[in-house]
Amino acid sequence: MEERESCVGLQQARESAQSLQPEVEVERPGLQHKLLRLPLSRIKGLMKADPDVSLASQEAVFAIGKATELFVEVIVKDAYSFALRGKRKTIQRKDVDNAVDATDEFAFLEGTLD
Amino acid sequence: MASASGNDDDLTIPRAAINKMIKETLPNVRVANEARELVVSCCTEFIHLISSEANEICNKSEKKTISPEHVIQALESLGFCSYISEVKEVLQECKTVALKRRKASSRLENLGIPEEELLRQQQELFAKARQQQAELAQQEWLQMQQAAQQAQLAASATANPVNKAGSSQDEEEEDDV
Repeated sequence: MEERESCVGLQQARESAQSLQPEVEVERPGLQHKLLRLPLSRIKGLMKADPDVSLASQEAVFAIGKATELFVEVIVKDAYSFALRGKRKTIQRKDVDNAVDATDEFAFLEGTLD
Repeated sequence: MASASGNDDDLTIPRAAINKMIKETLPNVRVANEARELVVSCCTEFIHLISSEANEICNKSEKKTISPEHVIQALESLGFCSYISEVKEVLQECKTVALKRRKASSRLENLGIPEEELLRQQQELFAKARQQQAELAQQEWLQMQQAAQQAQLAASATANPVNKAGSSQDEEEEDDV
């Protein structure tokens, strides 16, 4: 991980913290896949919790799972850059709050912050 | 843990999975519990968001089942275009794994290959892929080091006009990464 500058822009923070390739175990009897870190069954359960959402193919669930993993990586890196700006080494809840406020696409999370 | 018998509304991504991802994304960085909890909640919201949007796109398409294409379109319309290429990669790997599994099953039926052998082959494939990725990462690391070395040498060459014979310019490989 590179920390060349003390104040990193969000874009730089996202690019500089390279994560390892994901290796996820999908819960399946018998042969195991290692494509996603998040459990497919849980993702599917979350999708189904919305009564309006129709059936999704397994690949669609995979796609959402992968997108969610990427989302976690991004928000965590963004939160880290805020912690750095605050000269802290521990990421606090307010860093995640700031990460949400700072990015347009995360506007849907405003309600979660309370 | 999963509340299979309780409210579906209480479902979240398992904390352990999030912890693992945080650790791999930012090794050696401390993250407060409250922050982790918030990330878990955000994941739940994210999944609902994408599912909802994908669902609407699916409804408009007159298809009954949400497809990965619907998910990709949802990501695009919600402003998560940067995620799309990696999502497509995973989908491709899905297909490859599924294909190999189907081939392996038919081989199993025809030739009676035991499951341990299939498992072994699968592990081999993944090990190979991991190795390739590790080699790539190492190459990048070496290149970075070389670039850093050259920068150093350039800096010291201008500062110290005297050049030593047999200097480290000849060495291109470091032992420990």
